[in-house]
Amino acid sequence: MAIYVTNTERKRPRGTNARAGVLGVLLLSLFLTFSANAQTIVVNTTVPPTAISKTAVQAIFGMRMRTWPDDTPITVYVLKTSDPLHADFCKNVLGVFPHQLRRAWDRLVFSGTGQAPREVSSLNEMRERVAMTPGAIGYLPQDDVDDTLYKLEVR
Amino acid sequence: MTPYISLKCARRAKSASRLALVAGLLLPCFAWTAGVPNPLQIHGFASQGFVLTSDNNFYGKSSDDGGSWDFRELGLNGSFRASPRLLTSLQLLSRRAGASSDDDIELDYAFLDYLVHSRETNQWGIRLGRVKNPMGFYNDTRDVAFTRPSIILPQSIYFDRARNVALSADGGQIYGEYRTHTGIFDFIFEVAAPRVDDLDTELALLGADRTGSLEDDVSYLARLMYERDGGRFRVAYSDLRVNIDYKPGSIDPSGPGSIQFLPKILSFQYNSEKWTLTSEIARREFRFNDLSAYIPFTEVTGESYYLHGTYRLTPSWETFLRYDVIYQNKDDRNGRKFEKRTGAPAHSQFAKDWTVGIRWDITPAWMFAMEHHWVDGTAWLPQRDNPDPLATVQRWRLFTFLVSFRF
Repeated sequence: MAIYVTNTERKRPRGTNARAGVLGVLLLSLFLTFSANAQTIVVNTTVPPTAISKTAVQAIFGMRMRTWPDDTPITVYVLKTSDPLHADFCKNVLGVFPHQLRRAWDRLVFSGTGQAPREVSSLNEMRERVAMTPGAIGYLPQDDVDDTLYKLEVR
Repeated sequence: MTPYISLKCARRAKSASRLALVAGLLLPCFAWTAGVPNPLQIHGFASQGFVLTSDNNFYGKSSDDGGSWDFRELGLNGSFRASPRLLTSLQLLSRRAGASSDDDIELDYAFLDYLVHSRETNQWGIRLGRVKNPMGFYNDTRDVAFTRPSIILPQSIYFDRARNVALSADGGQIYGEYRTHTGIFDFIFEVAAPRVDDLDTELALLGADRTGSLEDDVSYLARLMYERDGGRFRVAYSDLRVNIDYKPGSIDPSGPGSIQFLPKILSFQYNSEKWTLTSEIARREFRFNDLSAYIPFTEVTGESYYLHGTYRLTPSWETFLRYDVIYQNKDDRNGRKFEKRTGAPAHSQFAKDWTVGIRWDITPAWMFAMEHHWVDGTAWLPQRDNPDPLATVQRWRLFTFLVSFRF
């Protein structure tokens, strides 16, 4: 039931050994290729730690839930629909297909009943925007999350 | 000639006063914003279509050798989140579709949306102004090519003949959403005045341009929807009660009368990664009160359904196959009784349409689509493109392609 917000404390250790670096890259690419849970939901540090369901997370990325429990407006950031990382996030974290999400946004935008999410063009931009914007939510591969953001664990 | 023109002026004046009211409601909302990041969004779309038919005309003189380019849709909308709970939205629409839609810029919607209650498990709010009618899956965005499953929506349910009645209405809505671990229940209840003061609606409902005029009366709409697994499975029930009054002209064979239009739609959709299966079933009841001078019956119930399968070849290419059926009168499916009574062709009482199509999303902003229809029956042919019913052909084919841009 609970999604809770945890502060990610660790920074990735920087490899000095070239061989370890190569191995790391290999492992990382293997991880990205095979891991289904590479993406994690991140939020701005102003987001109150509250228990919400997976359905609520779907409602947030479906642009149907507009405010956090304390009335802070939710600002949703996503990568481009064509980005493989976006597809991975939709399918494996949200449990919806990218085409469904896109149609759902279009229905809201062109009937006036909602707004589209903010699109970012890179993971760096995602991290910066979510860190900067109060009430913001987005997603990043686990390894790209740093301590400027909170991680949101869905249960 | 004169009475018609003055009538048209009166219609214009009425719409203008409504517009002023809506604008008056909306303006104060742009005045302040309370800590919402990026509160303003502007979006729009532009579509140009081409239609070629073997017989009969659809969206212009499509049966001519060169086909018809008289099919355009342009829209521009703005939405402004003045505070976390207050959203203001407005859309202007210009549409050309043969003789019925004439490129005029119209106010498609303009409303205030206030979220009264917002929690993780449920929310509800109200909308005031000109609102879109949420009938079935597609009605509230029916003019936006990107949101349609095909270039031409299944005409059995989303017929263009009386489109203004269905499009949007002036009034209010209460909406709500209840989120459980199995899915989302969503409801909308609307009380509003439908848009009926145009010639097309009169043609569709009264069969000709009568001396009197149609006037809106308080109408109701309700839609209940359930979405499971983030929309993998969607089911909806829409129920509409449109009340329209007939106000007779100065020399009129008919006295004052009224029309009730009571459509009910059941909608189903299943989404997988490659497939989308959609079906909608409608029952449309019309009641004509004190209009025997124009309409040969007091009650008629129509039936419609379609079955639509989309297959995504790649993320940017998809194809579909659809079978779409309409019967104007469920007690006279082949139209023979109607032909005997009115002399108009029996095939104007039904239409069975097989369609295949393909869509290419070239970029997120550009889309190209193409489709072919094999139609048996003429029930949804636009009257203004086909003024002589006796000149229409029962079995005909329609080819169309469309290029669309959005931002």
